[in-house]
Amino acid sequence: MLLNGVRNAAIATARRSGETEMERAMPVTLRASLQLVSDPRNLDATVEEVFKMMLGIDCHRDPGPVDLEMESVTAVVGFGGLLSGACLFKSGSSTAIKIAAAMTGMEITEVDDTVKDGTGEIGNMLAGAWKGKVPDLAANCGLSIPAVITGRDYNLHVQAPEFKLVHCYRFEGGCFEVTIICDGLQ
Amino acid sequence: MSEIRTLIVDDSSVMRKIVERSLRQAGLDTMVVYEAGSGTEGLDMLRAKQVDLILSDINMPSMDGLEFLRQLRAQNLAPGVPVVMITTESSEEHVKQAILAGAQGYIRKPFTADQVKERVLPLLQPV
Repeated sequence: MLLNGVRNAAIATARRSGETEMERAMPVTLRASLQLVSDPRNLDATVEEVFKMMLGIDCHRDPGPVDLEMESVTAVVGFGGLLSGACLFKSGSSTAIKIAAAMTGMEITEVDDTVKDGTGEIGNMLAGAWKGKVPDLAANCGLSIPAVITGRDYNLHVQAPEFKLVHCYRFEGGCFEVTIICDGLQ
Repeated sequence: MSEIRTLIVDDSSVMRKIVERSLRQAGLDTMVVYEAGSGTEGLDMLRAKQVDLILSDINMPSMDGLEFLRQLRAQNLAPGVPVVMITTESSEEHVKQAILAGAQGYIRKPFTADQVKERVLPLLQPV
């Protein structure tokens, strides 16, 4: 249900801002670029870039699966337009706190609004930078405002996605998981 | 450089802090910062405060950054003040829309303090 909400918001965003006269005249398709869109190297490059540039943190792909704490924080950013789906960033609470502290320079001791806000922004930047790796995707796919979920024992299920990338990453003092789910590609 | 009054418009308070820190690292260490969490709040603030620089996110709930920029120009608030959009949207189309709406600069997230310096400081010369 949450995924439907963020996806609809992303579709609305794509309709608001992404369509040009040329695109209305010339239908663009991403289906022929499926291999490029789903290239796992794009996701790794995106994650490393966002963490290095915005937090000064070197992080690297971990073969995974990583052991996340029971209490976790997840940001969900929906894609809408030529590609529909979502980007999810999930980490344990203590990793989320470390990331928010690195982003703000503040001392943070619990999952508060700053941590939720920071996690949402990480999800937003990952989704934006990831779609920016493929020009047709950058121009024809909108992003929703991030939604953030906190708690324990929750899973995301999508029936028969077009493709799904689930990558784990590790940096000094933390680990997290980034998922790209594509459930529709035009 | 003399004191620069800067308005940062972003629905994320964390991102507002990052933008402020990047500006200070870029050399604007005597800056006064006003923060707004939405386009509407940004417009209200500009009715009450004078600023020298505006940085705004695009993808925000209720009033997005492009609408904020259009309203700002239509209402002649902060005339002549440079506006730089900071956003995750990276297509040429989004850049074009921002420029057409009246932005003088565009910074893509993620960004470095050096990129902020390159894009923002030239807009403030001479103060």
